[in-house]
Amino acid sequence: MRARDLVADYPVVTLDTPVLEAARLLAEQDLPGLIVRGDEGLTILPGTEALRLAVPRYIMDDPALARVVDEAHADKFLRALGGRPVREALPGERRDLPVTDPDATVVELAALMARTRSPLVAIVESGELIGAVTLQALLDRMLGT
Amino acid sequence: MTLLAWVSVAVFLAAYALIATEKVHRVAAALGGAWVMLLIHATNAESAFFSEHSGIDWNVIFLLLGMMIIVGVLKQTGVFEYLAIWAAKRARGRPFRLMVLLVLITAGASALLDNVTTVLLIAPVTFLVCERLAVSPVPFLIAEALSSNIGGAATLVGDPPNIIIASRGGLSFNDFLIHMAPLVLVLMGVFVGLCWLMWGRTFRYDPERAAEVMALNEKEAIADRKLLWQSLAVLGLVLAAFVLHPVLHYEPSVVALLGAGVLVAFTKVTTEQSLAEVEWPTLVFFAGLFVMVGALVHTGVIEQVSRAAVEATAGQPELTTMGLLFGSAVVSAIVDNIPFVATMSPIVAELVQAGGGESAQVLWWALAFGADLGGNATAVGAAANVVVLGIAARNGAPISFWQFTKYGLIVTAVTVTLVAPYLWLRYL
Repeated sequence: MRARDLVADYPVVTLDTPVLEAARLLAEQDLPGLIVRGDEGLTILPGTEALRLAVPRYIMDDPALARVVDEAHADKFLRALGGRPVREALPGERRDLPVTDPDATVVELAALMARTRSPLVAIVESGELIGAVTLQALLDRMLGT
Repeated sequence: MTLLAWVSVAVFLAAYALIATEKVHRVAAALGGAWVMLLIHATNAESAFFSEHSGIDWNVIFLLLGMMIIVGVLKQTGVFEYLAIWAAKRARGRPFRLMVLLVLITAGASALLDNVTTVLLIAPVTFLVCERLAVSPVPFLIAEALSSNIGGAATLVGDPPNIIIASRGGLSFNDFLIHMAPLVLVLMGVFVGLCWLMWGRTFRYDPERAAEVMALNEKEAIADRKLLWQSLAVLGLVLAAFVLHPVLHYEPSVVALLGAGVLVAFTKVTTEQSLAEVEWPTLVFFAGLFVMVGALVHTGVIEQVSRAAVEATAGQPELTTMGLLFGSAVVSAIVDNIPFVATMSPIVAELVQAGGGESAQVLWWALAFGADLGGNATAVGAAANVVVLGIAARNGAPISFWQFTKYGLIVTAVTVTLVAPYLWLRYL
């Protein structure tokens, strides 16, 4: 079993894609994160980072305040995202997307994911992104479910 | 003075310059200074660790430690958020009323707890409420930092310089309540007036926006009612024990440690959780400072300086008091007031003794008011100011150094000037 057998098409966004659009992709396709094509190559936008932009910093600083905000106002936070781009949601410290080739074995993929703590590995052939292997796909294969 | 005394002065000035310019971390500067003082025999273990006059002031360290643990538990309860939201609703969404209530709460909390914790807890609620009112949070945040420094001046535990002054001057919690707190109340009244002049006149009331504030439910902020009552009870007992010192004879440091011990032993908060809230770098910074200043005492530098100060100010209590008040305010505006007060305390102690003991106690109040209120003058004058600037920047409402300082200078000039007639009329 090689990476080419597990690879699947994976949505790619750019640094200028609105976060709201990225969040919709995450939700609709049940993805753990998105591949972002940036100026310095491929990076990953974890779902939690998209969420980070939707929650005001002062609420993250003070968990007691999170309880005070009702749902109507929580929706406002999401709408306030407006057209803010993905580049604003990326973590301050750049997180390179783990990349491997289609011939990587299942164990190689698992080791790469575990080492980089990424639920996603990009599969690149001859410099072209052909898709990604997700943690879910890998576990399905390993556990035979 | 001996060569060793001159070298210790040079080491002290070099470390002080590093602390003031923030070229290196202040803890590293203070510990580095202490390290050199021990290395060159300007002080020794006996003097640094066990001397009441030239060693680490354990009363200060343990009072800070105890209060940090109590505050650490209290802040987990959500009581500050509850109070601030309650205030916003009491203000019925009127921005100036809201500002007044928030600065009063901040000043009151700062008098009992440390200033940085208070602004750290009030600032996030300020963002929430200002967002609903569609007003800029910047004036509110600046006003809160300023009021925390004014309120902190009121009590022995309100501001670290007061803790040092109390310990070095043998002053009690009640001394601060009698001599500092009454004027602080007046200064808060004046400060509210200044808030109106500086910002309040420009605020506009929007009934629709006010309704958004009224929709907030402050009760949701309370995370754990049992813990809330337990911590408030302990805080109440601690404050009562501070006040009852003449009867109970427990030192403030012992009271704070007993209170912290009760909270850790009898609430669900674990030892690890309570210790995680302690600002260890601050405590180590104090220890380093005390060793450095203690070296100056040990080598006779402080005695020389004190003697010169006593001779220069002999027969001029008015000039000495005013010089100390305004001088402390100016220095504290520019550099951290903690090392300044730590250095000045042994000198002021000599001046008070030479001036006749209790009758010259006004010098302690001049030092306390000058150092506490002077911190308001610039954005870097007090830890609370720096913290507020940091929170504002993180939340997308940056406050520049000058934006803060232009208001800080006005408030400092007015408040310190008002202290002068108070000290003059009451004590001189």
